[in-house]
Amino acid sequence: MPTVSVKWQKELYPAVEIDTTQSPYVFKCQLYDLTGVPPERQKIMVKGGILKDDSDWSKLGLKEGQKLMMVGTADVIAKAPEKGPVFMEDLPEEEQVVAVGHSAGLFNLGNTCYMNSTMQCLHSVPELKSALTEYPQSGRSNDLDQSSHLLTVATRDLFNELDKNVKPVAPMQFWMVLRKKYPQFGQLHNGSFMQQDAEECWTQILYTLSQALRSPSTSANLDTVKELFGIDLVSRVHCAESGEESMETETVYSLKCHISHEVNHLHEGLKHGLKSELEKASPSLGRSAVYLKDSRINGLPKYLTIQFVRFFWKRESNQKAKILRKVDYPLELDIFDLCSDDLRKNLEAPRQMLRDEDGRKAGLKLKQKNTSSVDSDVKMSDAEGPSTGSGESSKATLGEAVASDKNVQLTGVYDLVAVLTHKGRSADSGHYVAWVKQENGKWIQFDDDNPIPQREEDITKLSGGGDWHMAYICMYKARTIPM
Amino acid sequence: MESEPNNTASGSGNPKEEATLKAPSKDPKTKDDKKDEDLSEEDLALKQQLELYVERAQDADLGLQKFALESMRQEIRTSTSSMTSVPKPLKFLRPHYGTLKSYYETMADSDLKKLLADILSVLALTMSAEGDRESLKYRLLGSEGDIGSWGHEYVRNLAGEIAQEYSKRVNEEATVDDLIELVEQIVAFHMKHNAEPEAVDLLMEVEYLDLLVKHVDKTNYKRTCLYLTSSARYLPGPDDVSVLDIAYTIYSKFEEFPSALQIALYLDNMQHVKQVFTSCPDLLRKKQFCYILARQGISFELDEEMCADDEDKEALQEIINNTKLSEGYLTLARDIEVMEPKSPEDIYKAHLLDGRASAGASVDSARQNLAATFVNAFVNAGFGQDKLMTVTSETSGGGSLGNWLFKNKEHGKASATASLGMIDLWDVDTGLAQLDKYFHSNDNHVTAGALLGVGIVNCGIKNDCDPALALLADYLDKEDSSIRIGAITGLGLAYAGTQNEQIRDKLTPILGDPKAPLDVIAFTSIALGLVYVGSCNEEVAQAIIFALMDRSESDLGEPLTRLLPLGLGLLYLGKQHSVEATAEVSKTFNEKIRKYCDMTLLSCAYAGTGNVLKVQHFLGQCAQHLEKGETFQGPAVLGIAMVAMAEELGLDMAIRSLEHLLQYGEQNIRKAVPLALGLLCISNPKVHVMDTLSRLSHDADTEVAMAAVISLGLIGAGTNNARIAGMLRNLSSYYYKEASLLFCVRIAQGFVHMGKGLLTLAPYHSERFLLSPTALAGLVVLLHACLDMKAIILGKYHYVLYFVVLAMQPRMLLTVDENLKPLAVPVRVGQAVDVVGQAGRPKTITGFQTHSTPVLLAAGDRAELATEKYIPLSPILEGFVILKENPDFREEA
Repeated sequence: MPTVSVKWQKELYPAVEIDTTQSPYVFKCQLYDLTGVPPERQKIMVKGGILKDDSDWSKLGLKEGQKLMMVGTADVIAKAPEKGPVFMEDLPEEEQVVAVGHSAGLFNLGNTCYMNSTMQCLHSVPELKSALTEYPQSGRSNDLDQSSHLLTVATRDLFNELDKNVKPVAPMQFWMVLRKKYPQFGQLHNGSFMQQDAEECWTQILYTLSQALRSPSTSANLDTVKELFGIDLVSRVHCAESGEESMETETVYSLKCHISHEVNHLHEGLKHGLKSELEKASPSLGRSAVYLKDSRINGLPKYLTIQFVRFFWKRESNQKAKILRKVDYPLELDIFDLCSDDLRKNLEAPRQMLRDEDGRKAGLKLKQKNTSSVDSDVKMSDAEGPSTGSGESSKATLGEAVASDKNVQLTGVYDLVAVLTHKGRSADSGHYVAWVKQENGKWIQFDDDNPIPQREEDITKLSGGGDWHMAYICMYKARTIPM
Repeated sequence: MESEPNNTASGSGNPKEEATLKAPSKDPKTKDDKKDEDLSEEDLALKQQLELYVERAQDADLGLQKFALESMRQEIRTSTSSMTSVPKPLKFLRPHYGTLKSYYETMADSDLKKLLADILSVLALTMSAEGDRESLKYRLLGSEGDIGSWGHEYVRNLAGEIAQEYSKRVNEEATVDDLIELVEQIVAFHMKHNAEPEAVDLLMEVEYLDLLVKHVDKTNYKRTCLYLTSSARYLPGPDDVSVLDIAYTIYSKFEEFPSALQIALYLDNMQHVKQVFTSCPDLLRKKQFCYILARQGISFELDEEMCADDEDKEALQEIINNTKLSEGYLTLARDIEVMEPKSPEDIYKAHLLDGRASAGASVDSARQNLAATFVNAFVNAGFGQDKLMTVTSETSGGGSLGNWLFKNKEHGKASATASLGMIDLWDVDTGLAQLDKYFHSNDNHVTAGALLGVGIVNCGIKNDCDPALALLADYLDKEDSSIRIGAITGLGLAYAGTQNEQIRDKLTPILGDPKAPLDVIAFTSIALGLVYVGSCNEEVAQAIIFALMDRSESDLGEPLTRLLPLGLGLLYLGKQHSVEATAEVSKTFNEKIRKYCDMTLLSCAYAGTGNVLKVQHFLGQCAQHLEKGETFQGPAVLGIAMVAMAEELGLDMAIRSLEHLLQYGEQNIRKAVPLALGLLCISNPKVHVMDTLSRLSHDADTEVAMAAVISLGLIGAGTNNARIAGMLRNLSSYYYKEASLLFCVRIAQGFVHMGKGLLTLAPYHSERFLLSPTALAGLVVLLHACLDMKAIILGKYHYVLYFVVLAMQPRMLLTVDENLKPLAVPVRVGQAVDVVGQAGRPKTITGFQTHSTPVLLAAGDRAELATEKYIPLSPILEGFVILKENPDFREEA
């Protein structure tokens, strides 16, 4: 009976006797005792061949002390998971969008970058999208004209297209309908369409949508667009000459950021924009007099639109000239000090909660410190409250009602979600581009049909002061706190 | 007679204006007169003295004649020993050269006549007109005496004239015996005076190198051999072989066996290798030889004659079989502290990219997972542990990661399973144990991958039990072609270069099988080419040729068909003329493949030879403007690189030529150029090549860009080069949307960090002297596959990337003691300096740093021991080196 040594993995079993009268299977059982590998899983290498259960020992020419090698494990065979993974390559195109992480670009149909960038910005408002999906295809309300209806439908379809595709979309239908509704966009110059002002496009589209999305079933003031974008302003109109004073309220869809020599920051521009002078007939003086209009925000929207007033009509050159001044804007905007006193009072509680939330996020260590500082904050605002607190309570409750509808509270703090930029020297030339924050937090620059990922810090660099893209319209999303 | 040199020479003692005054003068007579006036008294005396000798030499009185000649000789000898300007005696004798010459003719044969011939021979050094070879003529007529006494310059001049005379006489088929006699004297003189290169040059001119062996001694044999081996690179065949043979003989004579072995390996002369083993009595040194053989990656069986003792023989054979490679590699890894497994994310370093990297996609992309599989395999190659494949096997089933294997799709699963082989590279025992369970999988792709993995894990390792053959042989005839390809490729990788007949008998029938699909045939051809690489095996060649002839017209258009000629070419890798017969046969092939086959065969046959004519031939092929659909220029471009990679000079020239091809070439040439650059600078990231490739990686043509990206990986392979890593990272964000290019970028990233920076792909080793044929073969297969990325690497044959395993070697110096246990000693590592032809003992490295072994060696690095305590048994400190204690060493107090 020859003895052999068997090597298995890193181990060497030196003296294994082989009973050559028995079949190799017996030998395998011997090895099973040693290694724990079941015989059927054993592969024993003998000079470039595998020992079969029925091999003849004598033909293998075993030598005394020969080294054999065994391969085999008692491991469980890896089983394929029952549900195999889904690969991106196998998905239909619309589902690939999710994986790509951003929606499609829009083809430029000939100087339509103003429209493309506007649509990309508006497309980033999910509430608008869902409102549009609910919009009925045929049943338009009586007070809506045919072209507005068509434009709304086209908007809805375009948004759907954008969501479904990875490749760029050509907004043909929308472009046609838009021109039909607003013929000014169809202006031709030298046989091709002219570049237009994106802000005008933005305003017109929002206006149309606000008309169309007025829900016919419920009360008239429940207007989706207004709810999303409408900013309630309360203005004190004061005439220095006569001492007359009156209050006005109005709803606007965007705040203007006026740019003058003193304005370096968005906040300053907004303050400027809320103050205006106007000339109107004074009943007491019996002539027209200069009135000062000082507006404050009395109702906050979910999406705050801010327009940088960069263009002004330059009479001598007969075109809209551009102010290139650099105006910084933050990623996080707090408009608390632009609010009316009533609104401020309503905002205090949610803001407190927001601060607590932030404090908690900042970590346990800081907790103690935070609460103390927050306490003092509260005290201060408490002390402030009664001295300034007066005004129409009806407005305040309205604002509250809107917010409480969804059990979330606005805080007056806003996060930047979209920037529409302009590059060039006048409104009717140059290039418009949309920079939109995606749901996953990444920024994408939609340069017509070409979506390019961007870094967040580069977004704030679009503040002007050169020939680079500069912000024209900014859209901020409200930071809310659940109640 | 021109007097200009005279004039300037004499100017040394005279004011400048003299020279300017005399320069225009035409009449030598007046010039001489004038010159006399300028001479110093001493010179004048010498001149007159010499003139007197000349006169006396023509005297009838023999005694007087003899005295005059001897005095003249004396004068010349004393002055010629230093030779910065024409010595005075020669100068003064110039005008009398003619006189003496004519007098010589009138003399009767005598010793005196010979004496005069000697003098005339020396005078001819400065007198005789170009091409007259009068110095030689009178030398041969003169006395056979000590020529060295006339000075170096004279000998050197004589050597030059001999070379000319020799070629003339050979042309006229005249006898050269008298010349050879002279040559022998000159060689002896040169060898004695540290002028080995001159001696070698002369002997090469007269084709009589054998003479050298007689004249080398202990002090100069190293320099001589160094010159011989490095000049051999620039010699046309078969001269180079004879030169190296001489070097081999000399090394053997002085028992410098490791160097002799290197040359034997370079010549691929197994007879010589055996001789080295038989003539060296020392077991320890034999062990070192075995390490050298193992690095070259050829299979070699020891026999009784080479090592009498059975036990010793087994120990030696074990070293040749490379079984300890894994151990040594892990020793290095532990020393450098890189054992921690790395995940693909650690390599991608996406956090360094600004927001561009694809947003942590929620859906797996099969292509990206496949890329991660490869990156994981390359980066953790040989370490035995990783973060994707080996982890899941332990927590099998319900790990949070899930089973990575099944995150790959179809053929991806094959590559994923095979990656286990790469992770356990060289560690056959562990590797087989890991792979074993996948043999029982019911998924064909997984089984195929396991088969391929067995091949990878065994790559370069030989084992008595032949586990790879035993395991894979049963799967060669399976129905499923992916299993067959797995087994075939596995065998090819495991037995590359072994010329194993069992494999041939198993694989050749597949080539003739009419039912076998094209891809099976193609990979069989490659596998056979690898196993029989550089063997010129007729039988295998026939089998592949028939397989090629049997292909249908439509098959010939397939990209995979091109692997068939490549398999054929590998058989003749580096074998030069031996390919001619097969190349003739290839001219009868279908015209679709004929030219392609021709280029492939030629490029393989002359790979690593540096043959300039072949490079020109390939360049010529690239200059043609092709009909649509012709593809042969791809292998032609690769051929330039394969041939020119032999030595640095040719390599640099090739890089320049490739730049031109980039500018003027058409698309099918341009896409091959980056690959050629990749091969030329493999694992050697030269900055200008890096820049070129970086530029091309943004090329408008996708195929060029893909090739450039892969090549960026190749030139940085195993270096962890930060600059390339940065470039690739930026490319990954640049190409984030283009799946194919991104895949290439990932693969390149895997290459750059291969083995966490401990590996090299360079087929050249041992101070860039030896070329490992299997390593080159692996690279060539990969590059040919890259010629058609879309069909092969981006298609379902991505596992050809694993062919790179053939070229993977640790770039280390691991010193071991006499029991082959690792031994840490201080070594200096620095940039290698070319010391060929330099006198004395020049420094061989520059800008060195001192480290303790084991150390990493970068391309162009050389190491030397920084201690006298040990003596290395190999002159080249690379790979495994055995150290012997120095008996003469004394510890400094």
